[in-house]
Amino acid sequence: MSFTPYDWNQAILTRSEYIEERMRGGSPVVGISLPEGVLLVSVHRTQRKIYEIYDRLIFGAIGNQSDIELMRNSAIDFAHREGFQRSPDDVTAQRLVGSILSPAIKKAFGDPFTAPFVFRGLFAEVGEKQTEDSFYALGYDGEYRNENRYSVVSGSYEADNSMLTLLHDNIDLISDRPSAIKLGLEAWGTGKLHARRRVMPLGRDTEEDEEVEILTVEQILKEELAHGKLEVGLLERKTPRESKFRLLSSDELEPVLAEYR
Amino acid sequence: MANPRSGDFLELVGGIPGLDGRVTDAPVSHGAASQLDTHGTTVIAVKYRDGVLNVGDRRATAGMGVMFDRAEKVLALDDFMLIAISGSFAKALEIVRYLKHAFKYYTRRELQEMSLDGKVSEVSRAIANNLPMALQGIGAFIPIVSAFDPRSNEGRIFFYDGMGARFETTEFAAAGSGSERIRGAFDYIIRTRKPFREMSLEEALRECLILLDIAADLDAATGGFSKVLPVAKGINKDGIFDVDAAQMRQIVAEINPREDVGLANPVV
Repeated sequence: MSFTPYDWNQAILTRSEYIEERMRGGSPVVGISLPEGVLLVSVHRTQRKIYEIYDRLIFGAIGNQSDIELMRNSAIDFAHREGFQRSPDDVTAQRLVGSILSPAIKKAFGDPFTAPFVFRGLFAEVGEKQTEDSFYALGYDGEYRNENRYSVVSGSYEADNSMLTLLHDNIDLISDRPSAIKLGLEAWGTGKLHARRRVMPLGRDTEEDEEVEILTVEQILKEELAHGKLEVGLLERKTPRESKFRLLSSDELEPVLAEYR
Repeated sequence: MANPRSGDFLELVGGIPGLDGRVTDAPVSHGAASQLDTHGTTVIAVKYRDGVLNVGDRRATAGMGVMFDRAEKVLALDDFMLIAISGSFAKALEIVRYLKHAFKYYTRRELQEMSLDGKVSEVSRAIANNLPMALQGIGAFIPIVSAFDPRSNEGRIFFYDGMGARFETTEFAAAGSGSERIRGAFDYIIRTRKPFREMSLEEALRECLILLDIAADLDAATGGFSKVLPVAKGINKDGIFDVDAAQMRQIVAEINPREDVGLANPVV
């Protein structure tokens, strides 16, 4: 069998479409940096979405459960091997994403004879100071984005952009943890709104259908939170505990949730 | 990326020299070993009313020399587990680092905490795997593991022999060069005063400091507290805590009122 450059291009295109189609309806993950640490915010139906990777690293993703699990395990393996053989201080999101995961994903994506990863992951690292916090949003093609105050991964790059715009405009208004979670939820709802517009019945075009446009972010959040569960992972900057990570309890989330009932 | 024993950190790192049960072919030389291998000396663990208290002197020796007089011999393995180390310092610290990683690795990979039993068995495995090296006369270490068990709501203490056998004690454990000299004294305290598990933190701390003082008197390698305050940490239902240095200084001064211990020398 011969394989021409044209075939390769075509294969890449098909793979992108396949992956994006699979991820479109998924639940986004939003990251926000706060004085007390970094937050990852998402809403899930069944499976948990936010995980601890290492002492200063947490992770949330969108995609196939098995691909997410593979990435999570690879990240944990690298971090612990490196942290033990060198030092926990040498385990950074930059190294993990930039030199370990990104090339591996790119390789799988570019090879038409292996299954690509249906995956977009958000890695959050807490620094000694808030200015040292960082987020790495890693895509299915191995490309990644690095941000410091907030970041997102969602089902499409258009949704990412709307979410990032919202975060950019409002990030200076957050004063405490509940307001940060609320902003995270609004960004999440914005991403979900995009996903809903895109997943339209056949033969209908979003731009022409006014009925769908009526739904607001708040309505979407009310609906999604009635069926799903808000999940917020906090990686604390300063804590006497051995593990800096914890998922916030329902009691801690209650003040935010009450606003959407 | 498949992991046959999922969550097993030793497998992930492909074994640690001297920690994977492999026999090295280095020649046995007891004389050289004692000079190379820095040793921690006496550590004590007792149960008290609300949990477990660990006390240790700060001396680390190599052969006849004092290598370091501010050694940390009581270390946290996780939020509810302390390890008090005696014997080879290099090996003990490496194994503490290994255990901390192994526990966290398991929790993060498997999304559940390793059981207390699993953790104390992992310590056994580390000691057992270290046996070939210990038999060559270098790197032997004996730890005491203390934990707060949330299921039974009480402190628990485990001690080990050189092959990794694990024993659980109801009252106390001691390890290190000075420990044999004071073992009988623990029983004397329990029989004539009261069991440690009925003591308050302050009472238990006082007994431990006296025991450490006796160990320092009878064992040349044990530092006592004439220069540097001992290390004292505890675990109760809220987790690990450091014993207040001022409280310890006060007790030390009362135990040995003729000397201004801890007062003339600012203690870190």
